[in-house]
Amino acid sequence: MLRKKTCVAMLLAGGQGSRLGILTKDVAKPAVPYGGKYRIIDFPLSNCTNSGIDTVGVLTQYQPLELNSYIGSGAPWDLDISNGGVFVLPPYQKAKSGEWYRGTANAIYQNIAFIQQYNPDYVLILSGDHIYKMDYNAMLNFHIRHGADATIAVRPVPWEEASRFGIMNTDSEDRIIEFEEKPKNPKSNKASMGVYIFTWEKLYKYLTEDEADKKSSNDFGKNIIPNMLNDKQVMMAYNFTGYWKDVGTIESLWEANMDLLENPMPIDMHDKKWRIFAKNPGMPPHFIAKGATVSDTLITEGCEVYGNVNHSILFAGVIIEKGAQVESSVIMPGSVIKRGAVVRRAIVAERAVVSAGAVVGEDEGNIAVIGQGITVPAGASVPAGQQVDESYTF
Amino acid sequence: MKDVMGVVYTGENDARLRELTITRAIAAMPVAGRFRVIDFLVSSMVNGGMKNIGVIMQKNYHSLMDHLGSGKEWDLHGKNDGLHILPPFLTRENVGLYPGLLDALRSNNNYLIRSKQETLVLSNSNIIYNAHLDELVNFYKDTNADITLMYTKDPTMKRDEYGTYIAVDKSGNVTDIEVQPTHPTYDNTYMQVFVIKRELLIELVDKAVAHGMHSMDKDVLLRLVQDKSAKINAYEYKGKCWQIDSVQSYFSFSMEILDPKLRKGLFRDDLPVYTKVRDEMPSYYGDQAVAINSLMADGCQIEGTVENSILFRGVKIAPNAHVKNCIIMQDGQVHEGAYIENCILDKQAIIKRNARLIGPSAYPIVIGKDVVI
Repeated sequence: MLRKKTCVAMLLAGGQGSRLGILTKDVAKPAVPYGGKYRIIDFPLSNCTNSGIDTVGVLTQYQPLELNSYIGSGAPWDLDISNGGVFVLPPYQKAKSGEWYRGTANAIYQNIAFIQQYNPDYVLILSGDHIYKMDYNAMLNFHIRHGADATIAVRPVPWEEASRFGIMNTDSEDRIIEFEEKPKNPKSNKASMGVYIFTWEKLYKYLTEDEADKKSSNDFGKNIIPNMLNDKQVMMAYNFTGYWKDVGTIESLWEANMDLLENPMPIDMHDKKWRIFAKNPGMPPHFIAKGATVSDTLITEGCEVYGNVNHSILFAGVIIEKGAQVESSVIMPGSVIKRGAVVRRAIVAERAVVSAGAVVGEDEGNIAVIGQGITVPAGASVPAGQQVDESYTF
Repeated sequence: MKDVMGVVYTGENDARLRELTITRAIAAMPVAGRFRVIDFLVSSMVNGGMKNIGVIMQKNYHSLMDHLGSGKEWDLHGKNDGLHILPPFLTRENVGLYPGLLDALRSNNNYLIRSKQETLVLSNSNIIYNAHLDELVNFYKDTNADITLMYTKDPTMKRDEYGTYIAVDKSGNVTDIEVQPTHPTYDNTYMQVFVIKRELLIELVDKAVAHGMHSMDKDVLLRLVQDKSAKINAYEYKGKCWQIDSVQSYFSFSMEILDPKLRKGLFRDDLPVYTKVRDEMPSYYGDQAVAINSLMADGCQIEGTVENSILFRGVKIAPNAHVKNCIIMQDGQVHEGAYIENCILDKQAIIKRNARLIGPSAYPIVIGKDVVI
């Protein structure tokens, strides 16, 4: 018998993230690299550890290989413990049925047995789509203090953009009275962050009922939350005002990386009390050679810079050869920018090579993307906004 | 390699490292931006397949214990074997301070007896190398030796009045050993690494200590060679190695690894070096930053100029500060307008605004831990 846990976290990491184009062709979105040495999933996992939540189920479905091996035993996040820890939960065959996760609520439904092992009072639902630092424990205390059945984290968005989000209309006490998905005429600017805390007993009831409803799309936003509201359950909105960035598109992923170069940084990554943990590749410090120029840039271990880099982010083991020019770009682990190549406003995915004299991206326009393991031939040029994978002809 | 264990002895004389070893053993000396000396030895052993590794501690071992922890970073936290930290302790036969390696091994006799592996690799901790120790062990087994010593022909490893040198004949057997000669006769520097059968080591140590002896080199190895009572041969390590036994040798090692070619001899793709992870974010270079021929770990904030230097994790270089030929350990700071050259800043040292510190390159200035100038 496992010891009881107050709160268990369930991280929905099964989505493809198709809006990230070729960046999620071979990896699940939460495994996409971010910020020089992290992957998106490091943020919710580190938030859990820093919030004292030590039992996390990660629900995977799409391209789980890289994500599974990245999570491993959970040691980088101190989640390799005997009572709890991090668990990768893919869909599996059961006696009566065996099927893929049909929706966010169905994914949790299929893992009720996992949650029940810990007999928790509360369940925290997270997604692997955002860059933010948040104290889930403070949110849990808020949930308990208000005797809520569900608490949904919300953040203020500009009024003119509110019609793009799931909006929570609340009373003066922050109790949710109405939920509107992408309202034409928003009554509030409190957008759902996709971070929910449920009292487990209640969630269990609604998940079971939802599963029995053949017409349901088994989704938290479309089914569970509206159903609970209809039944006048106590639903609270928890206001979050810190840095929060959706990295669901190429442009927003690029922007979120560039945010780390702002002074002051909008998200404090140096906070020793709230570190973002990541698996370490174990490389020597980075090297800046004579003749190289580096400005307004983040560089991590294992990089070697012989060329010129400005306003960019270099991941572990990146090599910038002599005379190469990198400007406002994100270069992911193990990629090489060869002699005289120019890379501007681009994302170069893992282990790609930009050969000598090639030109990737432009000073203006959309972000160019070079896919994982792709070699851009010498002298080739890739225009702004172009995504380059195996099928691209130079 | 399941049948091989490793033992690291960390009690070397460290007087010539001045302030740098006041609070730590040589094995715990911060090197190469994010490592400690012992990381290279333990990683070599782990990469060579050893799963039972004992580290004999002597003085100031808190820093070393803190660094090694449970051995998790080296995958040495399993149920069987793993990392064994062996601090000195007071017993009837041990008063804490070991007069020599033999005494250190004797007082850890129980650990040696309890270990299951047949073969043992023993290493000191003041030489940095990244070796295929499995090749050393295979050589030992293939040649049916009783003891195989590892040596180097690297001329920079020779030291007057320090070190042990060996004569090796054509078939690889050791024919003579010189311990701390004023002027070494032989070009083969013994790297203080050898392979032996665990039970033979226990027996040799016991006999020697019972006869009041302390020195492994003089009292055991030299005697065995002179008596011809054991087959002692030698394995040449052809990679690069560095002896860290003085401020000067520490400084020149650090400057040498700025050379990409020499650095490749230390950091090899086939032999990764593991260390304790600090989870710093990548280093940030500001608009005015200038970096020339330097190695930087994560978590640094560089706004000034850094030239031929090594910055450890979390170092801050302010705008208009200039750092040349320096080693700045973890969380050091150089404030605006300061100029420092040929300096070694220990952890958390701070050089305040407009300070100027220029040491001679042959005798770099050492600024102690937490010192503010």
